[in-house]
Amino acid sequence: MTFAQGPRWKQLERVRNRKGAFTDDDYAPQDQAEFLDDCKILVIGAGGLGCEILKNLALSGFTNIHVIDMDTIDLSNLNRQFLFREADVGKPKAEVAARFVMKRVKGCTITPHYCAIQDKDTDFYMQFKLVICGLDSVEARRWINSTLVDMVDPNVMETLKPLVDGGTEGFKGQSRVILPTITSCYECSLDMLTPQTAVPICTLASIPRQPAHCIEWASILEWPRVFGDKKMDTDNPEHIQWLYEAALARAKEFNIMGVTYSMTQGVVKNIIPAIASTNAIIAASCCNEALKILTNMNPFLQNYMMYTGDEGVYTHTFEHQKKEGCPVCGTSAIDFEVSPDITLADFIDKLKEQPDIQIKKPTITTQRRKLYFQAPPELNELTRPNLDKKLSELADSGEEFAITDPGLPFNLRLNVIFTK
Amino acid sequence: MASTAPSGMPSSKEKKYDRQLRLWGADGQNKLEASHIALFGASAAGCEILKNLILPGIGRFTIIDDKKVEESDLGVNFFLDDDSVGKSRAERTAALLGELNPDVEGDYIEDSFSNLVATKPELFQPGWTPFTHIIVVSPFNTDDVLKLSPEIPTFLVHSIGSTAMLRISASTRCVVDTHPDTLIDLRLLNPWEELSAMVAEKTKDLGIAEKDGGMSDHEHGHVPYVLLLLKFLEDWKAAHGGNPPSTYAEKNAFKDMIRNSMRMDVPGGSEENYEEAIAAVLKNIRAAEISSHTKAVLEDPRCINPTPECETFWIIAHAVREFMNRDDQGAGLLPLSGGFPDMKAESSTYVALQNIYRSRARRDATFVHENAKAVLRKLGRDPELITLDEVSLFTKHANFVRRINYRTIAAEYNFPPDDFHKKAVTSALQSYNAEWNPSLIYDYVALRAWQEYYSKIGQLPGEDDNYLDSDIREQMRITAVDYLSSIGYQSNIDHRLDQMLQEIIRAGGSELHVIASLIGGIVAQEIVKVITSQYVPVNNTVIFDGIKSRTSVFEF
Repeated sequence: MTFAQGPRWKQLERVRNRKGAFTDDDYAPQDQAEFLDDCKILVIGAGGLGCEILKNLALSGFTNIHVIDMDTIDLSNLNRQFLFREADVGKPKAEVAARFVMKRVKGCTITPHYCAIQDKDTDFYMQFKLVICGLDSVEARRWINSTLVDMVDPNVMETLKPLVDGGTEGFKGQSRVILPTITSCYECSLDMLTPQTAVPICTLASIPRQPAHCIEWASILEWPRVFGDKKMDTDNPEHIQWLYEAALARAKEFNIMGVTYSMTQGVVKNIIPAIASTNAIIAASCCNEALKILTNMNPFLQNYMMYTGDEGVYTHTFEHQKKEGCPVCGTSAIDFEVSPDITLADFIDKLKEQPDIQIKKPTITTQRRKLYFQAPPELNELTRPNLDKKLSELADSGEEFAITDPGLPFNLRLNVIFTK
Repeated sequence: MASTAPSGMPSSKEKKYDRQLRLWGADGQNKLEASHIALFGASAAGCEILKNLILPGIGRFTIIDDKKVEESDLGVNFFLDDDSVGKSRAERTAALLGELNPDVEGDYIEDSFSNLVATKPELFQPGWTPFTHIIVVSPFNTDDVLKLSPEIPTFLVHSIGSTAMLRISASTRCVVDTHPDTLIDLRLLNPWEELSAMVAEKTKDLGIAEKDGGMSDHEHGHVPYVLLLLKFLEDWKAAHGGNPPSTYAEKNAFKDMIRNSMRMDVPGGSEENYEEAIAAVLKNIRAAEISSHTKAVLEDPRCINPTPECETFWIIAHAVREFMNRDDQGAGLLPLSGGFPDMKAESSTYVALQNIYRSRARRDATFVHENAKAVLRKLGRDPELITLDEVSLFTKHANFVRRINYRTIAAEYNFPPDDFHKKAVTSALQSYNAEWNPSLIYDYVALRAWQEYYSKIGQLPGEDDNYLDSDIREQMRITAVDYLSSIGYQSNIDHRLDQMLQEIIRAGGSELHVIASLIGGIVAQEIVKVITSQYVPVNNTVIFDGIKSRTSVFEF
């Protein structure tokens, strides 16, 4: 493997080989040849951002790239995922994307992994110099973030893998650089996400007011009532059609207007609008930062850029600060104040509402006892009565609660402090 | 595009474009499909722009370029392959870009921008040109772009090393569907008869306890907060000489007034609808204000005196103006948007209340429609030209419409430039501060020097490896100082300007793929906004600094 060399790379080499106004005084590109030759990069996601990222890295001279994605190609990807054609629908994204870029950019090797990121172990992630994420899932980002933070051995420089992360929605997007354990991490900024406030079940069940309420009623309440255990498949057009018709009938009953097939699909699949141009901006920003980090040809982003394109062009570039007591990159348990009189069930509801924690089905223990277990059934049965007990009956103020959750890639430690 | 009824299953085209139709809808998509984009210069940035337009389905594109593909193109342009070397760059990029979307027709012309501007002026003439939008990518000669018509939307693009710039020029853009964050307008200080009647009906027993024949907790907890606010406003005004709470302190006192009549002895200790009312006070208790953008539209001569040839936008704007001026119509207020938020309420009450807002919005739109028809008749045009749907879209967005007057390229690039330009650049230079206002104005001056240098000398500064760095630096400094004196700005070369000149010479005209791709995304977003007449395009220059990852927007 060799990093960009020869007449093909004249333009990149010219910039790289010359000192710039912002490069370090001792900038010497030739010294990095060895480092770059062995520079393996991991791309997570081969979707809208991933396709762009693979192209950008290949045309930034990187010759050894891995890409990991568990998805297959869908028709609705083709308006932006430019490495795929109609004949590719149904095939694994990682494989088709890798093949296309390798064919176009000679000398570049891309190794596809058609699987979930959680299927790979630490040894796998340790082989890369840098990781770029183009994901649409908060859960996957939290997982890779916490994995990379855990991998850092402060005594071994090579264990620190810079993570460059991008995301888009419509005409907006953001890119950021995370140096695990050194700078603010993904978990530190979790409360910047718009909280997804769930509509109360009673609204869905008895007082719907919006078309979305009718759609959620159909998918959350009516589907299980009619079909029992049969799983709903949001990719199955017949299932969507059924939900649409059920929602439409309910909307009619309550004189609510505006339920459409497209809206039904949007609500049940939580579809986020996505366009080629925004993906191009954010993916290019991520790869620009990766190139600067790995070649030192210019200083890199400190550490967050938000791009807004719906009203003119506006960017906000700032340094997001590490969060004190971050459950991933911080070191100690977080203080959590709560009334001693609420029940464990109320406490769990409170946790679910926290924008900076985001859990769904927690299992809770203290040093002394098992407070609540989701599974196995025996433990669930044993601990369920605790749900109705007051916290003051279960623990002392200041006691540490350990919380695990399927949506949580780490153990959350809370010092539960009782308010007076 | 073939569109099915909103209720039915989507067509395969709707499936393919689903993620973007959720942004700009069938109307935006139809406009995209009617466009024909010309790209002058098949550079990496140029091809990246086209990629982002072909994917969402523009109608046609034509690539104009006279170069043969060199090996060094392959390291930066994704839409060239090994087989392309030695062949026409226009032909090869058109072929590889064309593969992206079978719905789009692609073409190419093997010729240069300079030559076509000189020999085929009809290609650039409004009314004659086949092109709806023109992209020109650097390097280009200033003299050539000065020949472009200000009527055709034109996008000038520079992508040099770590820096990139876009300049838009077009005839006035009038945008109705700007996609603001919210269209909600509650008009709490200007309730109308139907709304006040509902307040009276639904809140008459509000203060009476259940045991005394008042509302049950359930009823009390489901009075929509809009009705609560209107009711308490009546009470407040009665106690304050007819004035609503206006200062921050008064609004807080008003919040307390609401809080004090909330029932606390209910499960949870408070009522959600009352909490919603309290939370809505600061944002919603205020006089209906007209935005500066809408004012600019309503005061525009084209709105005051629409002509027989003018766009329907100005006729409707005129009709809105009349609506506001008439006491029997808006009486000083804009037409109501009809936007209404969700709130804790029983379904039937909510729908009834929402309908009061919707009916009022429909009534306002109908007035405006009648006014518009009268104007059309007066101008000797077909009174049915403007539909109620078109009027309703306008009245829904009445406080968010935009009129963008683009300045011509000539006003900026003539030597010397006009006074507006001189003032814009001078004031940006004067307010620049490396610490607290690090705008990219010096990046502009450096790029401008690059443009002047290339147009004069015909070489890309820094492209010759054998040329002495210090010599070229000196020449670029002189070019920059010449430009600065042409705008009447006398000063030493700022440190930032010197750094930017060095960076631009460092690039030697090279494109970095990542920067080309990034500006390609920015330009494509702007072109989509201009084509669809939705969202708000930049007026008129945006610069990206790839070193600090920042942008600046200027009107030059």
